[in-house]
Amino acid sequence: MLFTTSVGSFPKPDYITKARAMFSRGEIAEEKLHSLERKATYDWIRFQEEIGIDILVHGEMERGDMVTYFAERMEGFGTSGLVRSYGNRYYRKPLITGEIKRTSPITVETFRYAQDLTSKPVKGMLTGPYTMMDWSFNEHYPGRKDAALALAKVIHQEVADLEKAGAKYIQIDEPALSTRPEEIELAIEAMTIVTRGIKSKTISHICYGDFSKIYPRLLDFPVNQLDLEFANSNFSNLEVFRNPKFTKEIAVGVIDSHSHIIETKEKVKANIKMALEVFPLEKVYIDPDCGLKTRTVEETRAKLKVMVEAVREIKQELGIK
Amino acid sequence: MLKTTVVGSYPKISSDRNVPNLRTALNQFERKKISADELEEVYRATIKRIIKEQEDAGIDIITDGQIRWNDLLTPFAEKIEGCKINGLLRFFDNNFYYRKPVIKSQILFREYTTLGDYQYARKHSNRSLKAVLPGSLTWAKLSDNHHYKDPKNLIADFSLILQKEAKRLDQEGVEYIQFEEPSLCNFPREIDMVRESLKTITPGLKAKTILFLYFGSIRGLIPELFDLPVDVIGIDLVSKPENIALLLETDIKRELILGCLDARNTRIENEEEVLKLIQKVSRKISPDKIYISPSCGLEFLPHENALKKLRLLSSIASRFNS
Repeated sequence: MLFTTSVGSFPKPDYITKARAMFSRGEIAEEKLHSLERKATYDWIRFQEEIGIDILVHGEMERGDMVTYFAERMEGFGTSGLVRSYGNRYYRKPLITGEIKRTSPITVETFRYAQDLTSKPVKGMLTGPYTMMDWSFNEHYPGRKDAALALAKVIHQEVADLEKAGAKYIQIDEPALSTRPEEIELAIEAMTIVTRGIKSKTISHICYGDFSKIYPRLLDFPVNQLDLEFANSNFSNLEVFRNPKFTKEIAVGVIDSHSHIIETKEKVKANIKMALEVFPLEKVYIDPDCGLKTRTVEETRAKLKVMVEAVREIKQELGIK
Repeated sequence: MLKTTVVGSYPKISSDRNVPNLRTALNQFERKKISADELEEVYRATIKRIIKEQEDAGIDIITDGQIRWNDLLTPFAEKIEGCKINGLLRFFDNNFYYRKPVIKSQILFREYTTLGDYQYARKHSNRSLKAVLPGSLTWAKLSDNHHYKDPKNLIADFSLILQKEAKRLDQEGVEYIQFEEPSLCNFPREIDMVRESLKTITPGLKAKTILFLYFGSIRGLIPELFDLPVDVIGIDLVSKPENIALLLETDIKRELILGCLDARNTRIENEEEVLKLIQKVSRKISPDKIYISPSCGLEFLPHENALKKLRLLSSIASRFNS
């Protein structure tokens, strides 16, 4: 009960950022970059174990953008020129140019490496078909639905491979879902293909949106656990889930991933207590709102520490072991 | 004669590596490797380039490309009293983020937001120019209001700020002034607020005024949309294809911008299909009152794809007009 976890990404230490830039300029070999990524992953796993997180993530040291990373490793994708995402940040948006296929597992090797470092469960981390479709240009499939369902079949293969590799928790993120409430049926149809026949616990993280537009239909989203942000809006979106009752497992975001400020333990405890007024205790997991890759390494460590301490005290108060 | 226009924003960096690059310049400025004046030179070179690209593509009514705009919200938020800027939020259904304005006290005009770039653009082009401003409803809806008890008063005060900006642009001789109101599609019942706001801003302006709706459906806004006190209504016909049928059933009492090329996908449209669509609309209103444009700002596309869409737009207009 009240297991602690993380949404997925952690900040990259400077040596990874530098190595990625050097690799893209052709100045270092791929294996050199990979060995540095493994070192950084090792450090994040050790850190999570030290502070006592229950379900670990590998931190995504090898990934840039969450859609681009997968698009670059599937057939049927090309990349576009640069598109701005905010401020002075640009990215190459994936571009669907042909039939989407997977030639070999994409994340299994990284998962295995991380899982072998610890006896605690490490989550398998994937980007969902709806989000991959929504955040790509599409020049091949006739419509959005065709593209999303084709992606779903390929992502299902990856989920099945992660399960075979021993992943007890597999998270398939759909951050794009909440922005087009009218397309929730398509997202559900696609995720049904992704999770069909999977026995591992499946999770989906959704962020940046107005949940009132997709609740309670969201309860039919074919995963075991939903991972949602709350701290960012000071829990103003919590009321939505009061009625009808929330029936899935829920990972509650109690730390603002987009703020430099380190929350106080009291603040985080208050956040958890608010969540427990609406969600049944036995279904609640605790994590930050979102991936932490935009924070510094120090901020991330401090935020996670506060989170774990707050949960520990709440558990004591509630008499949970 | 059918005319061509853009909605507003334009990719800030070129696919041509040999022209000044604003992204690099901003990075260098942040690391104090170039001065504010040097950065300003890159801004200006970028505006000049973007104007030339629109002219060369054959666009009739152009913009300065809004290259200082990180999003629709922050430029005004930075230039008015009573407002701070907070963290990132997703801009509608795009993988694109804006910074949320936070209203701390009464908002008041402090300085002009768009005037400088407009004047610079005017010096470098003889084409018709369009100034682009955020609509007051959208600006209010996407902000965090910590001050006004009644959001109507926030909209009223923002309208006064827009009124002052629009009046000044009008004195400068701008041909078109556009207000972008994507939020109106999501809150059709707020159309009265938009009407009140436009009543504050548009009377007495010599420039043609435009209300542009993108991303959403106009269902729920018909027929009132065509009674609003503006000269032109712009509609995104791509994001919500039902807008085409809704438009064809309506009494179109204003000039019309048809946002008919997808500015959010790189796929190039079939020219014949777009022509057919325009022909249908032109049976309802005279082609003299029709403009065609991309479905929204072109900044959602990489530079080379944005250029292709502009050339296509121009080619469609030439075929229609001949």
